[in-house]
Amino acid sequence: MAEPRPDRRALGGPGVLLVVVYGVLALAATGRSVLQISEYFDRAPLAYLLSAVAAVVYVLATWCLARGGRWVRVGVVACAVELAGVLVVGTASYVVPSAFPDKTVWSHFGQGYGFVPLVLPVLGLLWFRKVEHDAAAAERGDGLAPGPR
Amino acid sequence: MIEPLTYAVVGLAAVLCVAAVWYAARDRLIDDRLLVVAGLVEVGLVVLLVGGLLGLDHIGDTAEKATFIAYLVSLPVIPAGTAFLAIKEKSRWAMGSIAVGAFAVAVMAARLLQIWMSYG
Repeated sequence: MAEPRPDRRALGGPGVLLVVVYGVLALAATGRSVLQISEYFDRAPLAYLLSAVAAVVYVLATWCLARGGRWVRVGVVACAVELAGVLVVGTASYVVPSAFPDKTVWSHFGQGYGFVPLVLPVLGLLWFRKVEHDAAAAERGDGLAPGPR
Repeated sequence: MIEPLTYAVVGLAAVLCVAAVWYAARDRLIDDRLLVVAGLVEVGLVVLLVGGLLGLDHIGDTAEKATFIAYLVSLPVIPAGTAFLAIKEKSRWAMGSIAVGAFAVAVMAARLLQIWMSYG
């Protein structure tokens, strides 16, 4: 891939670790979602639709983390949606458990996935913020070192 | 064939995970030796994919069968992806990503085996 180095590189350093964790979660969410919708959608349409939405957002966030550049802004939105999703669905699954007869990635604050879905968007947002910050510093010319790689 | 192969894959993935953590701690980058281990895990997973798909009739329940397929198909993506990233992005963080990926492979392969064994 001989494309020019994007000005907001998101992949360097801890970013590569985030890409992998996000990637695995995206795979897991997509797999579970395809399965739920194709095999027993009628059992809990709301929960399964949410699973599908979550899967799409995780795939999008993974892509944004891997690409960086102009995708950073999209990635911030994706992470914010994930954080809101896990908080809202997590709370709802405790308050109205009847609406979630089957698990989703986000129910019970991502308990079924070791609470990774709760922690990940926060890490993602922090990372994107650092990437933006470094890019802004580089534009001003005072950020010679773009952070630890 | 599925059983011993899956045990081997789980073991190899655990070795890969520990080795990658060791590399990251010592600030060593990916080299041929680690790539060979990752390659062995990958080959094992591809053989497992083929063998698993051929032996699908072994699993009775359709939902479990679908879960089984989802794991089978997802698994080979992980070591290939992390090794690719580690070659592209030479840093200790990339070694950490190989470790995380290998851990996920070990867990998912163990889950795969659990489903398989539940059908004797």
